[in-house]
Amino acid sequence: MLVITCPYCQEAREEEEFSYAGEAYIARPAVPEEADDATWGDYVFHRKNPRGWHWEQWQHVAGCRKVFAVKRHTVTYEIAGSWTLADGKALYLKEQA
Amino acid sequence: MPKQGFQPFMESPLHHFKLDAEAQARRADGRIWCNELPHLGYAVLRGDTAEAGFAQLVQQVTGLALPLQAGAVSQGPQGVLMWTSPDEWLLVSHRQRLADWTAQLDGGFAAQQLFAQTVDSSGGLTLAWLGGTEHITVLRHLGVYDFESIPLGHMVSTVLGKATVQVIRLDGDGVFVLFRRSFADYVWRLLRRAAQPYGFAVCQLEARGDHPLFAQLAAPRPSLILA
Ligand SMILES: [Zn+2]
Repeated sequence: MLVITCPYCQEAREEEEFSYAGEAYIARPAVPEEADDATWGDYVFHRKNPRGWHWEQWQHVAGCRKVFAVKRHTVTYEIAGSWTLADGKALYLKEQA
Repeated sequence: MPKQGFQPFMESPLHHFKLDAEAQARRADGRIWCNELPHLGYAVLRGDTAEAGFAQLVQQVTGLALPLQAGAVSQGPQGVLMWTSPDEWLLVSHRQRLADWTAQLDGGFAAQQLFAQTVDSSGGLTLAWLGGTEHITVLRHLGVYDFESIPLGHMVSTVLGKATVQVIRLDGDGVFVLFRRSFADYVWRLLRRAAQPYGFAVCQLEARGDHPLFAQLAAPRPSLILA
């Protein structure tokens, strides 16, 4: 069982209160009119699925119902932290750079 | 529409348990004491705290300060206002008063062009009071939250046996459990079953003075149902 800290409720809560909401920060094609089918296909279906640290979204469905970002290790299940989507994005972009 | 053919009336989601017939005066006998507070008014407020007029208007209309801290509950003799999310609050009061408040709030939001709204959820929720020395133990049988750690004047939204509930602690004397009408039968049976080892009794709940929730128990006007 994961213990996830909700950045809005500011409390560590049991996984039972949350729903997984997929990979975080998937970039939508910047100019949608010009994106070809392959680009759209990747956007909709292609996921990183890493062995290691993964930026993902969780929703606090039984609490504040907000979606936020969690950095979780897919092998050890260790959680590095959780942030609002805006705060997490800054860290995520820094890591990717 | 002919008035005679359609005569709706309010019915608690727990009416089939006939709790009134079972209710007795509460005693400090170690048992779990519980009952429903039926027919209260509930409204969800949505708004942006960055807009100065929002909190001001809510306070002005309801007399309750908008709680900004996670899980905080504002209390007054006319009801409670609970933080449920950074941009959502739940207002609980007497059904008639709540209807008046939401009309005033919506009018104010429109007049000030605030990005805010009210949603009346009175038909979708109900509230139970749970007390007795072991009432926290009962909750612990059913949910994963550390229920003993809820501070006075706070609520927590969590799950009891998979059903989403809000557990509200206003004072040291028991907690209020808020749940959906559609889950009411389930949650009631769940509480009752979990309380069985300690003894379970239905207590009389009267419209008590200026208590933020018990004071709201007076029967609503029947005309409201048709409104
Ligand atoms: Zn939360």
